[in-house]
Amino acid sequence: MQQAAAPVLRAEGVHKRFGGVHALRGADLVVLPGEIHALVGENGSGKSTLLKIVGGQLLPDDGRLDIAEGNRIATVSQETSLVPDLSIAENILLGRQVRRRGVIDWRATRRLAARRLERLGLDLDVAQPVRRLRPDQAQMVEIARALSADARILILDEPTSSLTDDEVASLFASVRRVREDGVATIFVSHRLNEVFALCETVTTLRDGRTVGSGPVDETTPDDLVELMVGRLLDRPSAAAARRETSAEPVLRARGLGLPGAFDGVDLDVGPGEIVGLAGLVGAGRTELLESLFGLHRLQGRIELAGAPVVHRSPADAIRAGVALVPADRKRDGLVLGRSVRENLLMAAQSRLRRLRVPSAARERVVVGGVIERLRIRAHSQGSAVTTLSGGNQQKVLLGKWLQTGPKLLMLDEPTRGVDVGAKGEIYKLLLDARRHGIGILVSSSEAPELLTLCDRIVVMFRGRVCANLTRDEATESEIARFAGGHA
Amino acid sequence: MSSPGRTFAAWATSSRYTAVLALLVLITGYFAATEGAKFVSHANLENLLASVSILWVVSMGMTFAVLTGGIDLSVGAMVALSGLVLAKLFAGLGLPALVAVVLTVLIGALLGGGVNGMLIGRAQLSFFVVTLGTASLFQGLVSIWSQTKTTYITSSLIDGIGFGDALGIVTPIWIMIGVFLAAFAVLRWTYFGRDVYAVGGNVDAARLSGIDVARTIIAVYAIVGFCAALAGVIQAGRLGASSPIVGADIPLAAAAAVLLGGTSFLGGIGGVTGTAVGVLFIGTLQNGLAIRGVSSFWQQVVTGVILIFAVGIDRLQQSSAGFRIRRVREEGSV
Repeated sequence: MQQAAAPVLRAEGVHKRFGGVHALRGADLVVLPGEIHALVGENGSGKSTLLKIVGGQLLPDDGRLDIAEGNRIATVSQETSLVPDLSIAENILLGRQVRRRGVIDWRATRRLAARRLERLGLDLDVAQPVRRLRPDQAQMVEIARALSADARILILDEPTSSLTDDEVASLFASVRRVREDGVATIFVSHRLNEVFALCETVTTLRDGRTVGSGPVDETTPDDLVELMVGRLLDRPSAAAARRETSAEPVLRARGLGLPGAFDGVDLDVGPGEIVGLAGLVGAGRTELLESLFGLHRLQGRIELAGAPVVHRSPADAIRAGVALVPADRKRDGLVLGRSVRENLLMAAQSRLRRLRVPSAARERVVVGGVIERLRIRAHSQGSAVTTLSGGNQQKVLLGKWLQTGPKLLMLDEPTRGVDVGAKGEIYKLLLDARRHGIGILVSSSEAPELLTLCDRIVVMFRGRVCANLTRDEATESEIARFAGGHA
Repeated sequence: MSSPGRTFAAWATSSRYTAVLALLVLITGYFAATEGAKFVSHANLENLLASVSILWVVSMGMTFAVLTGGIDLSVGAMVALSGLVLAKLFAGLGLPALVAVVLTVLIGALLGGGVNGMLIGRAQLSFFVVTLGTASLFQGLVSIWSQTKTTYITSSLIDGIGFGDALGIVTPIWIMIGVFLAAFAVLRWTYFGRDVYAVGGNVDAARLSGIDVARTIIAVYAIVGFCAALAGVIQAGRLGASSPIVGADIPLAAAAAVLLGGTSFLGGIGGVTGTAVGVLFIGTLQNGLAIRGVSSFWQQVVTGVILIFAVGIDRLQQSSAGFRIRRVREEGSV
């Protein structure tokens, strides 16, 4: 892709301050026509700010920004901006429906929308509401909408954070098609393997500065991480494998079933063992965790530390020593407007009983200990959780559940949307919890994560356990093979 | 309601009712300057406070409902109903006044929790539809049961609730102080209070944290019912009778006071201190306008304007809070 074409976008020495925070201090970004350009950096490195300036949502304080004449920019961000109850066609052409004699010509509108989708290689009934779509399909409808406004530069801000491997593959196929039309794509992702699979050029930001930019072929994931973090990262690894214990399993589940989600699932988690749960979205992983946490009535038998239990509610499960760190921390995990302290104690307090007054002094000591141990960076214990960065919010969420003193700790996508640095810290905390004899069940759609953490990996396919791999047997391709149903 | 060791500057910017507090000071100063002794006299100030006592007590309860992201439109009918229940228990059944009063507020709590709370918390119906329905239901019961007639209550205890005094301060004001302190303490210093904020702030996270959401909501509407019934008792004491036509304008005025006091319509943010300021603002405005001889119809118009103003403030605070969050996101992460 070495061409002499003039760049479609050139940003040089961009500075931006928010109050006392110097978010960008000399960021550069040069994008050539028709290239797929990765923008990487840790949380807080200034990626979002730079993209907002490029997209025209923010004005730079200093620096140059040249966008070639007539090049429209469209941004597809992490949060979907589609209207769930309107049809695909209406969403794609919202405000630009085809009109005839002042009224909307629905047939022509649908035809046009269908053509837009075809360009992305998508064959969907455009009359169906967006609510019915899978996340990746919704993502592509957003891209189609962006392109239908004749955008020449497409910004994809972490488009893959909630997609499975298969969905990512189909998204990539669409992005490559778009390139054939000469559209340049700026791609932001925390997953470096995606950068290497999709992009031609990569620009790295650290602390608001561009610290590197060049062809993807000439770099390696380790180089990029070092560039992003500014130091070599010691990757924690479960390699220091746990000592074999013959102790009673923390969790022994037999013949678990939930109609429409999973069936005939047997599962054991030993004390001080990390068991991974792999599988595509829809394989029943989330429902399985939720059921073990008392959110659904399930069939089958559950024993915790040898004693049979039935959980009718999360409160029952928490009292029995089960914790669930949900996948969506904003929706299910934290009360964002409340303080770090209240969030950290929220789940633990349901084990105590109510008609008592919380002791402020003791809480401060306890919470202070948690903040220190988990290295949560917060202004104070009383700060609202919204003021924390994503990685720190995730640590509050993890701390909240460790605080309940669980025997079985379940985590659903524990590092979604978290940067490499915070990811490493979360892994360390989990390995630490394992040392204390907590049984851990981690569900993740990122195979490398499971391979780093787990002593054993259980793969699910369409609601059934289809493989039980030991640490030595498991590889990324093995997991993918079983998760895809190719037993 | 965060860490106690905050600076004044942090308080001034974090508190959601500072603007209303400033307005309250402003209109108080204005009426004091223009009306002089007619406004600032001991008698008028006591009259002002006593006249808002019913709205105050109802609004304290209403704050709990709004904090969970709901509202209770049935409080007006509940005030009328409890006045009638008190009259029936005391004058009808001939129970001792004290017993009748205690039973009345307990019945209020039971109706609020058992009907509104169960339907909203347990059956998960919309708070708006449920309380709109029970407002009509309670008001209908009042009309049928009272045959739209006023029942006179002659009891020194109940009169005392309306007009008696202790240490030179009339009873309604003592009740206001007591209810405020109790509500403040419950919200700030109990696990239940935290549950209220958690349920209003993020109901899914609250449920997954093991908080019994249904029970919290039932308790909240029981508190609303309790407060409304207590207000009904004060009302009966001040009228010396149970009237079936009281309370019609209470739900909106209470909602206005709560929102004016900075409690978010979406739940999870706010508290009774703001509500107290909101009630005082409405009361002072009405009292001052009455002294100036402005007709009660104009007072109604002004109350309407205040309500919209209250929602406007809520809206502004929402968007500036949203702005703050966005800014933090830009500065701090991703």
